[in-house]
Parts: sequence; structure tokens; C-alpha cells
Amino acid sequence: MALTGRLGLLALLSAAIPLFAPSWWTLLIVWGVLLLGVAADLALAGNVRALRFHRSGDKNVRLGGTAQVSLIVENLGRRRLKARLRDVWPPSAGATPRSVKVDVPAGERRRVEMTLTPTRRGDRKAVTVVVRSVGPLGLAARQLSRAAPWTVRALPAFPSRRHLPAKLARLRELTGAHVALIRGQGTEFDSLREYVDGDDVRSIDWRATARRNDIVVRTWRPERDRRIYLVLDTGRTSAGRVGDIPRLDCSMDAAMLLGALASRAGDRVDLLAYDRRVRARVEGASRTDLLPAMVHALAPLEPELIECDAAGMVSTLMARVRQRCLVVLLTELNTAAIEEGLLPLLPQLTARHLVMIAAVSDPRVGEMAAARGDLASVYDAAAAERARADRRRLTAELRGHGVEVVDAPPEEIAPALADAYLALKAAGRL
Amino acid sequence: MVTQTPPRSGAGQAGPTGAEPSARQVAGRRWRSARGVVAVILAMVVIAIILAALRPSTSAQALDPESPKQDGSRALAEILRQNGAQVTVARHADDAVEAAGPGTVMVVTRTERLTNEDLILLSNAQADLLLVRPTSFALADLAPRVRKDGPTFEDADEPGCSLQAATLAGAVAFHESETYEVRGGSATECYKTEYGSARVVQVQNGAHTVTVLGSASPLTNRRLTEEGNAALGMNLAGAATGSSVVWLVPDLPESGSGAGQESLTDLLPFGVKLFFLELLVAVVLVALWRSRRLGPVVAEALPVIVRSAETVEGRARLYRAGHARDRASDALRSGARERVVPLLGLPRSRAQDPSAAQEIVTAVARRTTYDETYVGAALYGPEPLDDAGLIALSDVLDDLERQVRQS
Repeated sequence: MALTGRLGLLALLSAAIPLFAPSWWTLLIVWGVLLLGVAADLALAGNVRALRFHRSGDKNVRLGGTAQVSLIVENLGRRRLKARLRDVWPPSAGATPRSVKVDVPAGERRRVEMTLTPTRRGDRKAVTVVVRSVGPLGLAARQLSRAAPWTVRALPAFPSRRHLPAKLARLRELTGAHVALIRGQGTEFDSLREYVDGDDVRSIDWRATARRNDIVVRTWRPERDRRIYLVLDTGRTSAGRVGDIPRLDCSMDAAMLLGALASRAGDRVDLLAYDRRVRARVEGASRTDLLPAMVHALAPLEPELIECDAAGMVSTLMARVRQRCLVVLLTELNTAAIEEGLLPLLPQLTARHLVMIAAVSDPRVGEMAAARGDLASVYDAAAAERARADRRRLTAELRGHGVEVVDAPPEEIAPALADAYLALKAAGRL
Repeated sequence: MVTQTPPRSGAGQAGPTGAEPSARQVAGRRWRSARGVVAVILAMVVIAIILAALRPSTSAQALDPESPKQDGSRALAEILRQNGAQVTVARHADDAVEAAGPGTVMVVTRTERLTNEDLILLSNAQADLLLVRPTSFALADLAPRVRKDGPTFEDADEPGCSLQAATLAGAVAFHESETYEVRGGSATECYKTEYGSARVVQVQNGAHTVTVLGSASPLTNRRLTEEGNAALGMNLAGAATGSSVVWLVPDLPESGSGAGQESLTDLLPFGVKLFFLELLVAVVLVALWRSRRLGPVVAEALPVIVRSAETVEGRARLYRAGHARDRASDALRSGARERVVPLLGLPRSRAQDPSAAQEIVTAVARRTTYDETYVGAALYGPEPLDDAGLIALSDVLDDLERQVRQS
């Protein structure tokens, strides 16, 4: 039950009556009339308990887009329902309108359209639906809140998808779909064909030439069906914000671009998000399913404020993949975390797999290193140089273990990682 | 501008205008909405100040027979004493009544300080009363037949009555004076205005005479010498009869004594009480209306905000707090070497190799305007002695790097 402002106003106005008729009876009569009005309203208001809610509409929306979710209010009662209805969502769901007026005759249903503009990635669950049914006099209302579950998943925005066409073009150059390769830098044998002027003489297949009258060359194509394992570190270092975006979001973006690219290149891509346990996993997805599966798996991920368990991550990885693959570890080049956690385990990993580490560097460190002028900025510069030196040393150490390291600022990490992958592919090192 | 950009995240869509209002706009909007209220409050304050300034002020010692000040009445009291009258000064109504016997004239001043009980005491006193500019309450108790008839500022020339005190005094400078009319019965009315109301009224109230004087001016030290003021004052106070005079200048009544026994609730009409009760109920109803939310407050699990460069900034502050010039200069030098060495065509690994120092210094000196000693001191020298030295070092390193880059 809820009271209305009209009742308060009426009580306020009727306060003047005892001034003209000063008696307890006046007061009792005034109160009695108000009480009677409230009782009548409560009795005659549309029945909120006889409502049924149904939902339909979008379940996914890319971050920054809008989703339409409709709520259908069905009135199973015998009275007409005139009410104010609020569909309650968390603030970050960006639900509008805040509340609507509904008028549902008995036995009929009405649709309420909600527009959701999520401001943060992840699942947004509808909390409840609140209906306040006001009586005919407008003095009191019956109010009820009832669950009408619905979840809208705000998917990562994937801003680096604009790089995909360029990278795909480069990939096609490599695979020979557009430009025929002579001596392919890949390692897979493709076919034999006749020699044409300009072909590399080293690619002549003498055995086949001997069998035929023509000179025959071998053609090559980049390997296909290699395995790529993307590993996202969701531990404490992924929570750090570069600009205003957490590292994890940059890593996700890079992982999605690489996933999209590699799946087009015919490679098998798997994904694992790990800190102290598996947070998300995509395995065995087909080429066409991969990107949606990745996006869905990554959408609800949030950084955890715990140290990443490198040993657990490596053992999980080793248990899952037997054959050689490219392990792309998206983490942060944090000296303490890498040296204590990952570095001792690297030989175990590199013995079987090719490992690539991708890290987002902070442009703020570069700004600080360039700062001059007063004492504070010189000390800033010194600290930034020190941080960069640590990072360089760590990178060198990792490269010494045969690990590929991609270290780039947030807006460049995704294309840089894709380039590193294409370079590996071109070099036939996958 | 707004329409060209496609809608992005929801955070940017604050309102239909899109742009966040500036602090100046917000302040302006608040001022425009509040200026009516401010103007009304200012007007009320100004009116209150004007009213307070216009109010005639009376000092604490006005009409006090012991006060030699302008508005005191010591001069008159002294004259009365010299004429053989016995002047008793009373500060309380009970003292005055005690001192007063039959034939005594009691001068009652500052009646606004008298409580109801004091007035009842005085009305039962044996003495004749001279009321100096009494309040309506005092008038109602002590001279029930006399009513106020409004103030006048005109001068009064002739008494125009048979009252001996007045006829002897002749013209009197009343200045601003209250006037009176008498309802029923006989009375002596003197110094009438052209409308017929009198400045001095003498009535018979039971056994004793009550004289009401509309103005305090004739009795004050300041005005005593004007016209026939002194004569009027002396005659009214009864100097002619040579009897005793009790001059009552009441002190402020103590709180809780006499008047004010009734509480506020006793004074309020019953209807008003009911009105407030009903008002209370209305307020409660309005509070209930406002307090009932349309649905719950939704808690949002917010992400942590950790800036990635925080550790680097923290380290910079630690360096600064500890004056760690050695660490800072090492870091700056190794950073500069790291950038310079590849430009010199040397392997990158030489940058942090102490044994390659001479080689690097020579190569740098060849490509800059500095000599080897200077370059050596810049790239490999000791720690700066003070903070100014550290800043200078950073500038030198920058200059070296720039020159190598441009050569």
C-alpha cells in the first residue's frame, strides 16, 4: 500500500476546518472522511496481485549500443488497472524510461517498451517490476513488486574490429589467395606446377622434373589447422587502468582480433581466462562460432584482485593441450609477478609450445619519462626510466627463453599482436 | 556538434543538450530560481530595520527622580523637596502602596513595567494618582473611564478648564502627547485639542482623584524650564498642598512574577490547537507519501579503479622524499644510454655494459659539441650533489640525446 500526495494535500487543507468549528468531533469527522477515502481507494484499486508479466526482446547488446526489452503486463483481475509501473534495472543498465503509466483493462495485456543502454560490460539482470495501482479517488494505492527475470548481456565493444579487414588482406597475401607465392615462406607443401620465368630456381622439384618433360616447381602455402591457445590473465595486474580502461579490456580486445584473424586463417583457436581458477573457457568452437563464443565468454569477466597463480595456469594449459600450439598469454610485464610466477615455469611451457606474451604498456609512463622542468618531474622521469628499464630487462629475459613478446600501448596492442601472429605464420613458425 | 557524433556509451547522454553545464551556468540557474526568495527576505530585513529605527526609544532612567540626565526628573523632585514636599522614591508597586497614605499624591511612571498584580495593588491604594502617559492596561485598571484617543503633536496654549494646577501653569509645552476622552460621569478635561480630546484629564475614581497626564515631557529635566512645565508638574504632584509625594518608577518585573503565569497553550484557542494537530497529521501523511519508494534501491557492484601507473608515481614520490639522487641519476643515465647507443650504431647490449663506457663516450663526443670529459661526466659521472644538479643533469642528457639524434 502507498499513500498519495493528494491525501497529504487534502489533510493539509482540512486542517483549516477546526479553526471554524473547534471541536474534537470536527477532527474525528475529518479523519473519518479521509480514512474512508483511503479505504475506498484500496478496495477499488486495480488488483496488483492478479498481474502476470512476460518479457521479450534483446538478450545481447554490444557495449555502447541500445537494447529493446519489452515487458508485457497481463491483467487477470476483474477490475481495470490504472497504475504507475517501474521496471527496475541496475543503474549501469541505463534503462529508460524510469517509470511509465499503464492502463490495462481487465483481461487484456499491454506492452511496455524499455530501452537499455548499458554503460558497463557484463550481465545486467532485471531486478524487479514494481506496480503502484492508484484507486479512483487518487488518495491511496496498492503497490507490489514482483520478479520478472531477464538478463541483457553487454558484450565487449571490440573496437579493434576496424583493424580486421587490413589484417585479413595481409593474411590473404600470405596464403596466396590473391597473390601466388613462389617459394612460400610457410612450410606446408601445396602443389606442383610448371616453371614460369621469375620463379625461384631453388623451388624446382628435380625429382618431378625428371619424371616429366617440363620443369616443375613446388608451391607452398602457409600451414593451416595450427592450434592457438589464448590465455587471459584476470589477476590483480589486469585491473590496472591504462587511461580509463582496465588492462583486461585491452587484452580482451586484442584477443578477439587475434581470434577472429586466426580462425579466418584456418587455425583452431581456444581461449582460457585464468587467475586462480578458470574464469572463462572457449574450446573446440568452429570457425564461424568462434567470435560469438569468445565474446560471450569474455562479456562477464571482471578483474579479480588476487595474484595470478602461474603454476596453476601452466598445469591447466599443459593438461588441456597435448600437441604443439601457439600459447598467447595476455598479461602484464610486472617484474615481481612474472619473475616469481611465470619465469621458473617457462622452460616447461616452451619445451612443448611456442609462447607469445602480449602486454599493454602505459603511455603515462612515457609521459612521465619525458617530463622535465621542476624537481618533481625529474624524479618522475627517473622513476619512469627505472620502470622502463625493468620492463626492458624482463622482455630481454623472456626473449632469452624463446618467448615472443609484444609490448604496446592500449590502442596499438590489438594490431601489434595480430602483426606478430602474421609474422610467425609467414615465417612458418607455428 | 552533438548531432554529428553517433551515440556512444550511455554516460555521454546526460541530457537533451548533451553538454554538461559549466559551473557558471549552474550558479546562474540557481540564482535565477532563488532570487525571488532572496528579494523577499531582503525586503523583510530592510523593513524590520526601518521599523526598529523609527521606534521612539526610552532610556532606562526616563522619569527617574534620581536621574540628572536629559529625560530624568531629578530637577522636578528637587523643586518639590525645596517646596517642602516629602518625595519618596519607590521602585516597586508594593513599596509605593506602603509609603502612600491618604492625601499623598502618587506619581506613577513607566506603567508598561507594571504587572497585573501591581495594577490591582495600585488601584486599591489610598493615595491620589498621577498617571504619566499610562498604557492602555494601566488606564483600564486605574482610570476605567478614561480611554486613549490617539496622539497629537500640536502645542496647547490654554488649559481651558477649571483644574487649578492647569490654570496656574498656563501654557505648557507638551510636545508629542497622548490625548484622552472620558466616557460617562464628570471629569475635568484640560488642554483640549481641536477635536475635543484632552491632554490632561482628572477623574474621581472612588475615594481618590486620578489625574492622567498625556505626555512625560513636562516632567523631564530637559523640558522643565519650557513654558509652564515646571508649574504644571509641581501642581499636579501636589506641591501646593505640601503633602508627601510617592514617585513610583517600577523596575522591570522579575520573570515568573505576576503576569505570564499562563502558558502558551492556555492562551491558544482550542481551534488553533486542533489546527496544529491536524497539521501534524498532514505532515505525517505527506512524509509517508514521500517515503514510500516506487521500487527498491538497486545496489551496483562497481569495479575497482586502480591506475596502472600508480606504482611508478609512488616510486617517484619515494625518490623525492628520500632525496635519492643516486638512484634517480642512475635511472636517467641508463635510460639516456639506452636510447643513444642504437643511434651510434653500437649493439644495444653495450648500453648497460660498464666496460663499453669509453667507447660510448668517445662516440657521443664525436657527434656532439661537448668534449669527452663532459660527456663522460654526464653519462657515467658521480651522483649530483644537490637537486639543482639533478635537474641540470636531466637537461644535459636531453641535450646530448638531441644532438646525437640530429647528427
